[in-house]
Amino acid sequence: MHEQKDPGETRRGFLKRAAGVLALVNGLVLGVPMIGSLLGAVKKTGERPWTKLATLGSLPEGRPVEVKFKAVVEDAFHYRMTLQSAWVIRHSEERLTVFSPVCTHLGCHFLWNKKTGHFECPCHASIFAQDGTVISGPAPRRLDTLEHRIENGDLLVRLERFKSGTARKVTVEA
Amino acid sequence: MKRLLVWFRERWPVDAVLRLALEEEIPGGARYAYTLGSAVLTVFFLQTVTGVFQLLFYVPATDLAYDSVSYIRTRVQFGWLFHGLHYWGAQAMIVLVLFHMTRVFLWGAYKRPRELTWLLGVALLLAVMAFSFSGSPLQWDQRGYWIGEVSTSIAGTMPVVGDMMKRLIRGGEAMGQIALLRLFTLHVGVLPAALAGLFGLHIVAMRRFGSVGPWDESKRGRSGPFWPDQFYKDMVTGTTVLFVLITLAVFLPPGYSGPADPLDVSYIPKPDWNFLFLYEALKYFQGRLEPVGTVGVPAVLITILLLLPFIDRNPERNPLRRPFALAGALLLGGILAALSIKGYLSPGFGQVQEQQKTEIRLPGKGAFVSVGEAARGPSGPAGEGKTEGQPGPAAYMIGSAERGGMVFERLCSACHGKEGRGGVPNPGSTAGKVPSLAPIDSRLFSADARTFAGNIDSIIQHGSRPAGTAPAISMPPFGDNNTLTQAEIANVEAYILALNSLDRGQIVNPGMEPGRFYIFVMAIYILVVLGLGGLRKRMEGR
Repeated sequence: MHEQKDPGETRRGFLKRAAGVLALVNGLVLGVPMIGSLLGAVKKTGERPWTKLATLGSLPEGRPVEVKFKAVVEDAFHYRMTLQSAWVIRHSEERLTVFSPVCTHLGCHFLWNKKTGHFECPCHASIFAQDGTVISGPAPRRLDTLEHRIENGDLLVRLERFKSGTARKVTVEA
Repeated sequence: MKRLLVWFRERWPVDAVLRLALEEEIPGGARYAYTLGSAVLTVFFLQTVTGVFQLLFYVPATDLAYDSVSYIRTRVQFGWLFHGLHYWGAQAMIVLVLFHMTRVFLWGAYKRPRELTWLLGVALLLAVMAFSFSGSPLQWDQRGYWIGEVSTSIAGTMPVVGDMMKRLIRGGEAMGQIALLRLFTLHVGVLPAALAGLFGLHIVAMRRFGSVGPWDESKRGRSGPFWPDQFYKDMVTGTTVLFVLITLAVFLPPGYSGPADPLDVSYIPKPDWNFLFLYEALKYFQGRLEPVGTVGVPAVLITILLLLPFIDRNPERNPLRRPFALAGALLLGGILAALSIKGYLSPGFGQVQEQQKTEIRLPGKGAFVSVGEAARGPSGPAGEGKTEGQPGPAAYMIGSAERGGMVFERLCSACHGKEGRGGVPNPGSTAGKVPSLAPIDSRLFSADARTFAGNIDSIIQHGSRPAGTAPAISMPPFGDNNTLTQAEIANVEAYILALNSLDRGQIVNPGMEPGRFYIFVMAIYILVVLGLGGLRKRMEGR
């Protein structure tokens, strides 16, 4: 039998369904960007700033020195002046290597052993040569170098942090 | 699932609550005119959602508030959207409340026995105004800070209770950290709860007698149910309002007035548009009459609103047959509109009227020195052009290009040329001229706004000596010698960026570019409308 639907019923049905659809769409138009935003990455900055490490003249040649310097660190909208450190080896007048002070294994700060001429990490005994290569221990990759340049007799460095425990050197965006 | 529902229904009066919420026979049937009240509720939901989103990032501390809001607007995905919706939603809420009040007035829906609903409505109106008043200062930008400062000062002029009220809102004498926290707590905690509570009372009171319906007897023949008829119309209006707000958020983002700067006296404070009538009215109560105005004007208005259902006992509801009521409403509306317009146009709105001073004070010198003199002569070791020092706090703040332009004209254009075009001679320097800022040296330029600002910030903060044997003019250290506040420097930087076609407030992490998002949303709504249209045809066809 062909059922005749009461016109009032289909009208009610349409209104209910339409109201539901509108509510759903509005919810999605707001909800999807919101969830996406809260789950998504917060972009730090397009370019990292250059920070002055030290004057070139103050750095001795031949051996690694730990340089402590002031740098503004960005934490969301919070900019704080903090003390940072980096290892600098001056090979010649203008040739240098700058290492991030963070061990590539799990993030501890490593030390320089004068006697052995190696970088040694006190946490899990990773040992690195003066050029950063891993001699022994659990470190998955060589020491991370920091981009640097010399300007007006000053050594400038681009402060960055890298992921620990990975074989590849990956910049941490956070 | 069904069993769960049954379990729940046995223990909680679902049916009774649904009946209260949805069951209502509207005399004359559902109409779009009746959707204004629910439109206000819709916007309130929107404000809550966008407000909570911002709460995940906002800090009510005077040194972090502005930057945290800038962070939302430029570095959080879709932060620009939620902030923009919240800003325009605030304006919409007031507009819709006024429309709703007017509709209720025209229908005579405030008359006996619905007086209580009206009274609760007036309380809701005051709550919405309080929301507006407490919201602006939270951004701690120039606009918001001065709105907070001036309005609490005005409250302070009330006789007897004024001083106490001012100190209550500010949490002390100054407009500072405690004041910010108080307004924040009001805006985010107390007022939402109050509004929700008042709304609950308002809607229950309204349901007690139901919609008043048309005044024309001939139109009262049939009736229509709230659910789904009126609810559907409410959804259509709500959707339209949301779409309009998205459009505004995309195409008219709220500008930047720069970080709050109490030292900048060139900024003429003005209240938001919805308080302009009060601002203008108080001008007529100067000197000894001031307290009369501060208390009197709001008191009279609120009293008129509250007493309306008791003064107007005429049961007639056709507005055309209520000449006194209509005339009174038009008169009141006209006065408020006229005051608002006059307040908007009065000098100081976006214009700076004070004298252009070109004097700056150098600490330690004890005397006023002109910019020219301060710029004259080397400020560092001879030889190579050199700038010492790191960027200052201003580099990290998003300033107002418009206000920066005013500072630039006052203090920078003398050497750098009008609008930074350069060309001013600098004998003794290698370049021979003061460098142009539009376009700026490519070594300073960056497409990333913050990097660009940081590059020029070092120079503005600490000064710079141009390369050359004996340059006649050097760049003074505007930050180090306290000539400019950090906020002013941030504004100047925004201006210089603007001269180089860069927006200091550029959205670094949009999630989706506003334009693209808008096209997306428009497409979705168009599809929905077409889809519903098709659905309706199909259902009618059966």
